[in-house]
Amino acid sequence: MRTLLSILIANALAFSGSAYSADQEQQKLADLKQQLAELAREIDDINSRVDKNERHTSLDRIEITGDFRTKAHSLHYQNVTWNPAIKVDFNDFGQKAMSGAFGMPNDPSSPLGQMLSANPDLAMAFQNGLLQGVMPYVLAPKTTQDINNDIFYTTRLRLNLKAKVWDNVSFAGRLSMYKNWGDSTGTQVFDSWRSFTMDGTSSGNTSGDWLRVERAYFNWKDIGGSNTFLSIGRRPSTYGPPSHYRENEKRGGTPSGHLVNFNFDGLTLGYNLSEITGIDGQIVRFCYGQGFESQWGNGEMFGDIVTKDTHLGGFNIDAINDGNHFLQFTLFGAKDINDGFKGTMAFPTQLAGIFAPTMYQDMQKFSNFNFETRVQPSGVIGDMYLGGIGYAYESDEDMKVFASLGWTRAEGNGNAGMFGGMLSDAVFEAQLNADGSEIIMMPSAADSDDAKDGYGVYVGIQLTVPYGKFGLEYNYGSKYWTPFTQAQDDPIGSKLATRGHVAEAYYMFDINPRMFIKLAGLYYDYEYTGSGTPVGAPQKIDDVIAGTAFSMLPAVDTAYDVNASLVVNF
Amino acid sequence: MMKNLVKIATCLMLTLSIGGQAYAVDGGNPKKGKHLYKKECKACHSKGDAAGELTPMSKTMSQWDRFFQRDMHKVKPDVFENLSEKDRLDIQQFLYDHAADSDQPQTCG
Repeated sequence: MRTLLSILIANALAFSGSAYSADQEQQKLADLKQQLAELAREIDDINSRVDKNERHTSLDRIEITGDFRTKAHSLHYQNVTWNPAIKVDFNDFGQKAMSGAFGMPNDPSSPLGQMLSANPDLAMAFQNGLLQGVMPYVLAPKTTQDINNDIFYTTRLRLNLKAKVWDNVSFAGRLSMYKNWGDSTGTQVFDSWRSFTMDGTSSGNTSGDWLRVERAYFNWKDIGGSNTFLSIGRRPSTYGPPSHYRENEKRGGTPSGHLVNFNFDGLTLGYNLSEITGIDGQIVRFCYGQGFESQWGNGEMFGDIVTKDTHLGGFNIDAINDGNHFLQFTLFGAKDINDGFKGTMAFPTQLAGIFAPTMYQDMQKFSNFNFETRVQPSGVIGDMYLGGIGYAYESDEDMKVFASLGWTRAEGNGNAGMFGGMLSDAVFEAQLNADGSEIIMMPSAADSDDAKDGYGVYVGIQLTVPYGKFGLEYNYGSKYWTPFTQAQDDPIGSKLATRGHVAEAYYMFDINPRMFIKLAGLYYDYEYTGSGTPVGAPQKIDDVIAGTAFSMLPAVDTAYDVNASLVVNF
Repeated sequence: MMKNLVKIATCLMLTLSIGGQAYAVDGGNPKKGKHLYKKECKACHSKGDAAGELTPMSKTMSQWDRFFQRDMHKVKPDVFENLSEKDRLDIQQFLYDHAADSDQPQTCG
């Protein structure tokens, strides 16, 4: 435009010393006027278009980006063993039975008589005085099977929202849909803690065709000109480092993904230390959140609240993050952990057969019906602490290598619910139901309240290879390893929560910078039961298979997941 | 039939010619670029500087590409002239990879 104007002006100046005839000058002037008029019209037109753009930019206050992943898994589980039993205090049982509290044993209509006739083996053992102290009360015969789900498809859609509120205030959100093909029920049969539909894991558990608010928070930076920032909302607490490499993503969350991969509501108060120390990316964050709300919506008709709110607090420190080196320290505490969360499940008929014989009478008539139920925890079982150190190195040639060491500590308080206490089993006591017609077993206490330390190791490497990236990862978790990573979306279960070994290999083909295909294989070798939950005492898988240890939920020995996925970022 | 073919061919050629104009930087080393950017660019473009603060987020990917292809820092051309072609490409790659419309790490603060 400027060039054009210069030419025109130069043209106009050239006239002053011209030797043109008057006619030619007139003609030239007329041409110039016409060109200027055309230019003015053009500028008006551009102005009106720029105005529209400007207006649109001002009113369009949110940016939407997203990613779409479709994934095919082949899932195979070996030696899935269900060997349910509860620990019963038979001294207490004997005392109550002898005192006549349960009626006469030889009266078939008394609660005790009914119980003994329903369990002849138990009656024999009881009469022979074999039941002493706390012993397992077997609830169903042991079953062991292999399970093959040859093909399991999932689709994940995530929409990222970003808005600049002010120079130092921004908003970020993420809406997620994660479903498996042909299903939008949102509730699964309760066969493991993974299948329990709840707030903390809804983003990593297939739940159907609706968008959930996975994240929504604001960032208020440089508060009062200082290096302090505040962020409140539904936290970016999933896909944290170093678990983002296998996702082929940039850092997907704030806390270490080895310790935390869970949807939390809370706040972060952070300080950019790098402004003072000059060390790139050095940030200290104090994080606080609430993992469970005990009163609102719980209890029975405003009463019977025995749970407590679960509050978490701790520090998340990025010691260095300069593009080559990343070093992170994590230390968290969770006060008043309950024996579960609020959530929904489809109640398994087998459990009804064991715990709800009256209901089971009718449920048998509807073998393909499960009633869907809302569950709330039954009480506080103790506190937990998590700590970790993670280091990742990215070379200038984009080779990545990382190692993370995690520690978890569970401090039980001696309480227990139906599935156990803090990494301990429940001891059940026999008592009469409300109308005195039946003996029911109720959890009375945990079988131990010792503090239990667990540790986990997570290492991996990612290499740049022809057409993309190749990665190898390995992680191990000890008997009491209990991180908060249940929202990790591996269908077999969060690999990083595994009490045992997991090895993974993957190849990612970069089709273009916004699209890739990933082929992966994961092999799980579980050593102890209860991966991913602080409830219940971990049992050696080999003992459960041998029948010398018990598990209320099916225990998986080994499993593998071969999968292929296609991811499109837009 | 022939007319339609001509139309389709014209559309295709137009599409290709427009597509061909889209340019994305490739082959630079963003990690090296980051060091160079901090050394060379931040010297004048830090917070409070007269030249104005610049971060990779100041421009979109295509705006950075345009800047390196066409503008070439014409406000002070010697700044660019003193850098080797390889260094410029590394810086460009770093700025492009971290531009306003690139994938960003998702953290708070």
